[in-house]
Amino acid sequence: MNLIRMLLAASCLWVTAVLADPPPGYPFVGFDAGLKAARASGKPIFLYFGRYGCAWCDHTNKKTFSDAALKTLYSDNYVLVYVDAESGNRLTLPSGERITEAELGVRLQAFATPLFVYLTPQGDKIMQIPGFKTVQDFRDYDRYVRGGVYKQKTLLEFLGGKS
Amino acid sequence: MKAAAALLLAVLAWPAQAAWTWGEALTVNSVQGAAIFPHLESANRRGVAVSGDTVGVVWEDNRDGSPQCYLAMKPAAAATFQPEVRLSQSDCFEPVVLALGAGRFVAAWEEAGKVHARVLPGGTAIRLTEAESVQVTLALRSDTLFAAWAEKAGRFKRIVVARLALVNDALSVKLAQPVEAQAPPDEQGWPALAVAGDGSVTVAWEDRRYRHSVPLVSHSRDGHIFTAPTRLTDHKSGSVDGLGAGTGAMRPTLSAWGEQGFAAVWLDKRDFLSGYDVYAAFDPGTRVFGRNLRVQDSFGDNMAQWHAQVVGDAGGRLVALWDDARDGSPDVWLADWNGEAFGDNIAVPAASGPGAQSDPVATLDAAGSLHVVWLDRDEQAGTRIRYARAGWK
Repeated sequence: MNLIRMLLAASCLWVTAVLADPPPGYPFVGFDAGLKAARASGKPIFLYFGRYGCAWCDHTNKKTFSDAALKTLYSDNYVLVYVDAESGNRLTLPSGERITEAELGVRLQAFATPLFVYLTPQGDKIMQIPGFKTVQDFRDYDRYVRGGVYKQKTLLEFLGGKS
Repeated sequence: MKAAAALLLAVLAWPAQAAWTWGEALTVNSVQGAAIFPHLESANRRGVAVSGDTVGVVWEDNRDGSPQCYLAMKPAAAATFQPEVRLSQSDCFEPVVLALGAGRFVAAWEEAGKVHARVLPGGTAIRLTEAESVQVTLALRSDTLFAAWAEKAGRFKRIVVARLALVNDALSVKLAQPVEAQAPPDEQGWPALAVAGDGSVTVAWEDRRYRHSVPLVSHSRDGHIFTAPTRLTDHKSGSVDGLGAGTGAMRPTLSAWGEQGFAAVWLDKRDFLSGYDVYAAFDPGTRVFGRNLRVQDSFGDNMAQWHAQVVGDAGGRLVALWDDARDGSPDVWLADWNGEAFGDNIAVPAASGPGAQSDPVATLDAAGSLHVVWLDRDEQAGTRIRYARAGWK
């Protein structure tokens, strides 16, 4: 319980400190705090790679992340991490390497923002999804990730076969 | 007759055939390993300098269990770098190096949250400010040495420019002042600094006052009073249909260029679907940067460019460098300014091909040779810092 309180407090401080563009009301935290929390809780990580002032991030926040049920689904079941695509703030990768948040974009070969990355609790990448997505898209991705389907099927195979 | 005409054409075309001729690539860092991560990132990407007959390279890596900054040197003709010297005692990031001449250098870096500088060989490290500060860079013209960094001022960081005094090997800060007197309305960072032939100073940086990252630029005739910042970009970005605040542009780099001018190169996302592109602008001496030019050629379209830098000299030579993966994996590319446009993109031979070669830093020496340093990544063997020198022949 203390850990949860600490994380919530840290996330509030973090959101006000970086002034980037995570969707409002979600308990997003920085990369290092998120990786630590994910390892402790066993929850997968949902990493929102956004850019300060990004129009499509803003659109996604307003159209998709405003959905109350989606907010509950992701807040309850993921450690939510926000990374600012142009920031010089530093983070530590699971390998131990310290890089800037902007450099994470190089490693992810980010073409555009927003970019959504699903990671295991240990920080291994499951998949990354660029661009605007709908509420239903994020529900599908959740079933793919938390259902463990990614271990057997590609996302395209999964989406092609979903009812 | 036809043969004579062909010969004449070949002779006339000969000067255009000049190109960079590369020497053997060397490894700079003496310690590598799968869990050792060298970085060449710095404000204005000033990671290599040539002082007299000595090449100096700075970087950060974690071989000692924490991020520390290092300098390695070699005589220009030597086939190997001398063992590196550690510059820092606490967590260190984003070092830069500048040539003082006659084999002497000045290095600067962030250590324990404050920026430092030191003359090498010899010299003692000094703190350039007591405030929280990051992303230091250096510039020199004749015997006048300047530094710029991002310093915490209230809620955000702002750009500070300082004139440094150098007596023998002792550095001190003569005057440090923010480019703008008022408190920053949002974050500023990644300053690039250059001094023109007339002694005037230009500083460019990444600024978020417009609610997205915009490179701004300011000039000073004397290094004391700076003009009001203006946009380096001619692309007036803003919100689209009420969404967002504008497309981003980041990590400006600057170089003095020609007798009076400056050149700037940065990463620009105005075409937001193809990642960052490399853009350039010139100030021929008017202290106004002109229209923006895209640096990479069409083979780099639909491809994100990273780690861009510009290096120039008083003779008018100008080279832009960056990395991109147009050939399937990250390679280091360069483009020369031909007086009217940037030329074809050329892969640095030893920094291209299989594997990942990235993060170039470069400088032009007094003879016009190009010195390039980059990261050659290998997850098993560890990352090597590589160096190569090219002459224009």
